[in-house]
Amino acid sequence: MKYLAIVGTNADVSTNRMLLQFMQKHFASDVDIELCEIKALPAFYEPEGEEVPETVVELSKKIIDADGVIIATPEYDHAIPAVLKSALEWISYTSQALTDKPVLIVGASHGVLGSSRAQAHLRQILDSPELAARIMPSSEFLLGKSQEAFDYAGKLKYPDKLAELNEVFREFLLFTKITTELLAEKAVIKKDKKYTWQE
Amino acid sequence: MKFIAIAGTSAKKSYNRSLLQFMKKYFEQKAEIEIMDIADVPMFNQSDDQSNTEILQMFNDKITESDGVIIATPEYNHSIPSSLKSLIEWLSFELHPLVGKPVMVLGASRDVQGSSRAQLHLRQILDAPGVDANVMPGYEFLLGNAHKAFDENGDLNSERTIDFLEICFLRFMRFSKISNLLNEEEEFEFNPGDYEVSTLGHGGSLPMKVTFSEKRIETIEIDREGETEGLADVVFTRIPDRIIEGQTLNVDALSGASETSNAVLDGVAKAIKLAGVNPDILKRRPKPPSALKREDEEYTCDVVVVGGGGAGLSAAATALQKGANTIVIEKYPAVGGNTIRSGGPVNAANPEWQSGFEENPGERTTIEGLLATDEKLIHAEYLEDFRALKKEFEAYEEKFKGTKGHLFDSPLLHRMQTYFGGKRTDLNGNDIYGQYDLVKIMTDHALESVKWLEEIGVEYDKSIVFAPVGALWRRGHKPVKSYGTAFILALRDYVEASSGKIITDSPVKEFILEDGEIKGVIATGENGQKITIHAKKVVLASGGFGANTKMLKEYNTYWQEIDDNIRTTNSYAMTGDGILLGQSVGAALTGMGFTQMMPVSDPETGELFSGIQVPPENFVIVNTEGKRFVNEFSGRDVLTKAAIEQGGLFYLIADSEIKKTAANTSEEKLELQVAAGTLFKADTIEALAEKVGMNPESLADTIKKYNSYVDAGFDPEFHKDTFSLKVEKAPFYATPRKPAVHHTMGGLKIDTSTRVLDEKGNPIKNLYAAGEVAGGIHAGNRLGGNALTDIFTFGRIAGRTAVEEM
Repeated sequence: MKYLAIVGTNADVSTNRMLLQFMQKHFASDVDIELCEIKALPAFYEPEGEEVPETVVELSKKIIDADGVIIATPEYDHAIPAVLKSALEWISYTSQALTDKPVLIVGASHGVLGSSRAQAHLRQILDSPELAARIMPSSEFLLGKSQEAFDYAGKLKYPDKLAELNEVFREFLLFTKITTELLAEKAVIKKDKKYTWQE
Repeated sequence: MKFIAIAGTSAKKSYNRSLLQFMKKYFEQKAEIEIMDIADVPMFNQSDDQSNTEILQMFNDKITESDGVIIATPEYNHSIPSSLKSLIEWLSFELHPLVGKPVMVLGASRDVQGSSRAQLHLRQILDAPGVDANVMPGYEFLLGNAHKAFDENGDLNSERTIDFLEICFLRFMRFSKISNLLNEEEEFEFNPGDYEVSTLGHGGSLPMKVTFSEKRIETIEIDREGETEGLADVVFTRIPDRIIEGQTLNVDALSGASETSNAVLDGVAKAIKLAGVNPDILKRRPKPPSALKREDEEYTCDVVVVGGGGAGLSAAATALQKGANTIVIEKYPAVGGNTIRSGGPVNAANPEWQSGFEENPGERTTIEGLLATDEKLIHAEYLEDFRALKKEFEAYEEKFKGTKGHLFDSPLLHRMQTYFGGKRTDLNGNDIYGQYDLVKIMTDHALESVKWLEEIGVEYDKSIVFAPVGALWRRGHKPVKSYGTAFILALRDYVEASSGKIITDSPVKEFILEDGEIKGVIATGENGQKITIHAKKVVLASGGFGANTKMLKEYNTYWQEIDDNIRTTNSYAMTGDGILLGQSVGAALTGMGFTQMMPVSDPETGELFSGIQVPPENFVIVNTEGKRFVNEFSGRDVLTKAAIEQGGLFYLIADSEIKKTAANTSEEKLELQVAAGTLFKADTIEALAEKVGMNPESLADTIKKYNSYVDAGFDPEFHKDTFSLKVEKAPFYATPRKPAVHHTMGGLKIDTSTRVLDEKGNPIKNLYAAGEVAGGIHAGNRLGGNALTDIFTFGRIAGRTAVEEM
């Protein structure tokens, strides 16, 4: 199994990145997690003709090749950062690589709320027909006070949060498996939905 | 009334823009609507602040001046487009023009939804703290099937739609009028008097006294005892000055000292509350005039020095002594650079002074070891000095034979130790060693630098010869005042008293070039203004690149790996700016792959001054299992490599006697750290081991052995050769440490007069460099205490040469 972990920010220092780095190490025996940065993507624009930026093609390929995607989002102004939104716009406008892909949302914030509003927005965004990801339902991993959350080895210090993360992650492994099985049956049904980009 | 209208998309063709264009035309008689385009707004990035760019300043100014803002948003993926989100992020970061601003949200889409979900998201976003817009409730205008909604003139083709749009717009005009009343300042009056308050600063509680008259904050006095000097000093003058100047709490924190800045602001807010006024009123006031000053500035001088650390201030002081009109331009809010963060001592051989101290056990072994080096391994240019040193030492041994002698030293020993200390091989098998002519200048003129500083006003503690970590020898001149502050304060005062100008907060961005010749520098001022300094000569003294992880990784050829999250002991300003500037005019670089890690740094912050830092002859290094693994008196890179092999983290063990040799701390600070869990303390070695999580027997065994080596003056395990104290008297301490980036040895290639050289070895006209920005001296590894020797010696030379070549 292989997951792609998207760092939802372009900031040089980010506790969301640290969270994913920790998950990568911590769950190394369960699954291979590759970290993915979105900083290099251009700000979204509607390309003329068929030309798609190389970095977008690469990101799409990584998503397609992964069994599931983990997105860590900070919260900027009660919502996800523009740079993450831009990356999702690229995916939805070009490859739609997230369609039917199992997705786990996590997030960290310096305050106590742990990017809760941004995560809720991200759920709605990923649920739009042109993205249509399979977001793991009824699960939330909100890491508040993230600046003090990691020790110098990059390990998550809060025992309650660690237990929570272990559980959410175990569930996501199961969710990935079940979703993949479910979708194997669905594969033949062709979609007949219309959405903005197609009009 | 005047409104700003924003179409929330960067797309060329947009129904949202069409809708705004129709409104502009249709409501022409009622209000003026100006449509602004967001296509050129850069992607928001908190690590790359572009608030001062023309486009964002334009949005800021226009929105600030308007009576309200109309935003028409499309819907992408059930939310607003990233381009609109990016604009709002910029407008809630350093600039906040939307605070209290009336906003009307509407939108159009090709489907029937009319951007319904995006509009809801936008409302939530505009409500976030930092944005704080005043969004008009209700009156939801959703234009569905937008591709069928306009006629060929661009007018809405449905009367019902127009009617509803008009209702919404008229309501918005009324909403704006009333809502803007909220933005007018409430009347208030302070209860006059003095108010004493206390907040939490970086170094503990921060007491202050604020005095009010009925209408004004008159004075703010801060008790600065608990805070470290240097940058905090600037905070304590600048923040209060700005508050009083603008009678406002809308004052920006100083970069690099936000915690202390905010503590001051919080304290004043507390006092305002005690004086009977709602602090929010003062928070909503505009920034003080000096923070808004944006006019370009122009200066002319003889010598401009880029960087206000030890090298730059020495260069400036020397240039001033020689009668040149001099300006120092500094990126940080205060002068000091890395010098102000340094441990204090400056290496200089002064046998006259050092012979007043007894030799330590093992010191002779160190020199014997050095002198036993096979001459084949020594580079030709150093051979003569090596032989001369042998003679010097033979005479010393002759004199003292079997008896206890005094502390031996000479410029030759300093030179050879600098050479051996810097001789290294990188991962690719390339050898590097200190450039002889530069090392000779530094070691021959070191004492002169120390004395020159004394004349400038630095007072030394002559009762101790100090050897910092990795110094290899006791030849450190320690100032009375703690840290590098002593040097910086003396130099700064001297420069200012000699009518030198110091401009802070202004990173230099480029050279002024006329016919390819350097004629000064251009910097960006505190508020984004352009600062042009015409000068005959430019001295680069802007420091290394220890805080630029990307650059470290790019050039590194020495360490197996440089971690993305590596800590640094440096000021965050050390990003290699001077090296890039030099490269822009064709300067050659030397030794860039070699960086020094400070092995004994705080694992969390990279700071040097936490825990108990003592001279290496006194500390005992153990790994997480409680076992020694290295000769504590080794060079910094040996210690770092050994630490990295042990997993990075290790501990310094001290007892109550060793603690007394710590230069950096007080009992009160130590107790705070013990309470915070960043320092461990116990009454027995075994209990200490348990607190840290080591095996008690193994630590006890290590200490027992170590103490026996001190008695014997010989360490059969790791060959530590200089000892002083044993670990025997309770309480015992363990300070956790981990290597952090400390010094970048590489940099611009210079000659012995500090002229910057190009690839062909020719001097670049009008350009000089000194300090960490220059390379060639320390090669693969710098001795502890040699950085200050370097900067004060070459800084003075740079100032002198620049004036002489004018």
